Amino acid sequence: MLLALAWKNIWRNKKRSLIVVIAITFGLWGGLLSGAIMMGMGESMIKSAISRDLAHIQIHKMHYNRDKLITNYIPNSKEILSQLNQSGEVKAVSPRTLIYGMAASPESSFGIRIVGIDPQKAKQVTDIHEKIVKGGYFESDRKNQCVIGQKLAKRLNLKIRSKVILSFEGLEEDIKYLACRVTGIYDTESSQFDETNLYVRQSDLLRILESEAIYHEIAILLNSTRLIDPFRDQLKADYNSLQIQSWNELAPDLEFLSVTMQNFTYLFVAIILFALLFGITNTMLMSVVDRIRELGVLIAIGMKKFKVFIMILLETIFLSLTGGILGIIIGGLSIVYFNFAGINLTAFAASLEGFGASAILYPFLPTVMYIIMTIMIIVAANLAAILPAWKAMHLQPSEAIRTY
Amino acid sequence: MALIEIQHLDKIYNSSAVAVHALNDVTLNVEKKEFTAIVGPSGSGKTTMLNILGGLDKPSSGFIKIEGTDIFKLKSSELIDYRLNHIGFVFQAYNLIPVFTARENVEFIMLLQGVSKKEREKQAMALLDSVGLADRSNSRPNQLSGGQQQRVAVARSLASHPDFVLADEPTANLDSESAGDLLDLMETLNESHNMTFIFSTHDDRVIKRARRIITLQDGAVKSDVMN
Ligand SMILES: Nc1ncnc2c1ncn2[C@@H]1O[C@H](COP(=O)(O)OP(=O)(O)O)[C@@H](O)[C@H]1O
Ligand SMILES: [Mg+2]
Repeated sequence: MLLALAWKNIWRNKKRSLIVVIAITFGLWGGLLSGAIMMGMGESMIKSAISRDLAHIQIHKMHYNRDKLITNYIPNSKEILSQLNQSGEVKAVSPRTLIYGMAASPESSFGIRIVGIDPQKAKQVTDIHEKIVKGGYFESDRKNQCVIGQKLAKRLNLKIRSKVILSFEGLEEDIKYLACRVTGIYDTESSQFDETNLYVRQSDLLRILESEAIYHEIAILLNSTRLIDPFRDQLKADYNSLQIQSWNELAPDLEFLSVTMQNFTYLFVAIILFALLFGITNTMLMSVVDRIRELGVLIAIGMKKFKVFIMILLETIFLSLTGGILGIIIGGLSIVYFNFAGINLTAFAASLEGFGASAILYPFLPTVMYIIMTIMIIVAANLAAILPAWKAMHLQPSEAIRTY
Repeated sequence: MALIEIQHLDKIYNSSAVAVHALNDVTLNVEKKEFTAIVGPSGSGKTTMLNILGGLDKPSSGFIKIEGTDIFKLKSSELIDYRLNHIGFVFQAYNLIPVFTARENVEFIMLLQGVSKKEREKQAMALLDSVGLADRSNSRPNQLSGGQQQRVAVARSLASHPDFVLADEPTANLDSESAGDLLDLMETLNESHNMTFIFSTHDDRVIKRARRIITLQDGAVKSDVMN
């Protein structure tokens, strides 16, 4: 009956309660949606980074990251590759020959990373072949083709069929040259990546190096993201002389970013709730003042003070939760809708690419965040209720009822 | 033993610039089954008297014993419980919870007492029947006339099975016909339920209906007569 009373009481001044409910609804809706967009952006950055280059797990020679020398290749790559190819958990493997060198066009030159790949294998691990904007992705069998990023093409003023001279240190500290022809230009979400990564066929590189197969990096894509950590640990145990890292260890900033986005969302909603708190408190104070006589009568006829306190508390919680749940439902629905349809931010594509996120975002919020938000609303409602409930509870019945 | 024993009751309000002596050495007893009016002009101390009798306000000095209990020696939460279980209240206005129906208003006080739902419903209907409003049990206060609202308030005041009912100017907002009806009802309940009523009024037609008339003037008892 006390619950019913509290619920009925909040609808006595419909206009006033509706204003608060609408304010909470829209405040939360905005907070949730923008939070979900930030989360979606973080997720997009991670997904793009994984499918652009990182894959799930990478293998290097120990300390390769410190000295990216051509001689620091993985010593026992054959053995590893055959083990990986037999594993049921592995979806695809792409061994890469990495060489740091210079790319020169008639106009200019630029420091780059030459990535020697087997295009068929690389296609299964990364999606560069889907990002081709001009030409193709190693479509013919002609020797000495290269696929470069849009940004590098601009920098060196290269077009399809342009010639590029690659120069780099060979295995015997000698300088090697590879003249190749641009057959494809790609454009990923990250302009920084596009500027420095140049793809050639492994076979072309090895011929110049006069070497048998050497690999500096093995990128592994697993059948499911859940397998990443256990599989990495297994590899670590099997090859303790190699460096085995999962994507989040390779790019800790990306993982940090996704956690940051989550914290931002909480902070955002907390700030919105904090602002709403004053509105709720004010509304409830007005409602208590409007009912001084009635509350006085209730205390006079024998309603205990703590029950009066609880009643006002319940009213505040009901009021806040009505708006809160509406906000979460509308927010959740629009997140689901946009997650399905995508938010097209092509207008801001240039600045998003600076971050490495794609122009179409798919906002989302983990379920646990909805639960935590609901708890945050209830906490805010309790805070908002304290002052009005305190005031109601300390009414002096003889004064409150007096009709002079 | 008297139902209510009042000894040397004084009430001085210091809130304004000049101290107001609202009650001045009031000493009297109220017996069970009395039908007593406290009368006097506006400002004579009637409301102050009833508020103190009902434990809503504290006297400056003196004491009140209800069936031997000195109610101002109770802790404030005990006093609220005492009011709930021993005293019925009818005020001049704003008696009822506007969002509740007549029946729910009567039930509410039994809810505070912890009476079971079934029992509450049964008793509430019986009480509404005894005040002649059984057919309006599902009406909200704003769907009832002023007189009907006061009758619901009387039904509610009886719902907690109090020792006595205090009514501060219960007819002040009513037309004379409704006022007469309310007095009829209170009289009937006084006779059939042996319920003690103490009510204040400054309306001559209401005063005539009382069996004992206590007249206050400037906070002091000017006369105390049987009618
Ligand atoms: N809270 C208060 N503060 C100061 N004076 C008060 C207060 N309540 C009542 N009084 C004064 O006490 C006197 C008695 O008031 P009251 O009991 O309301 O009289 P009545 O009900 O007979 O009209 C009046 O002079 C009134 O102004
Ligand atoms: Mg009065």
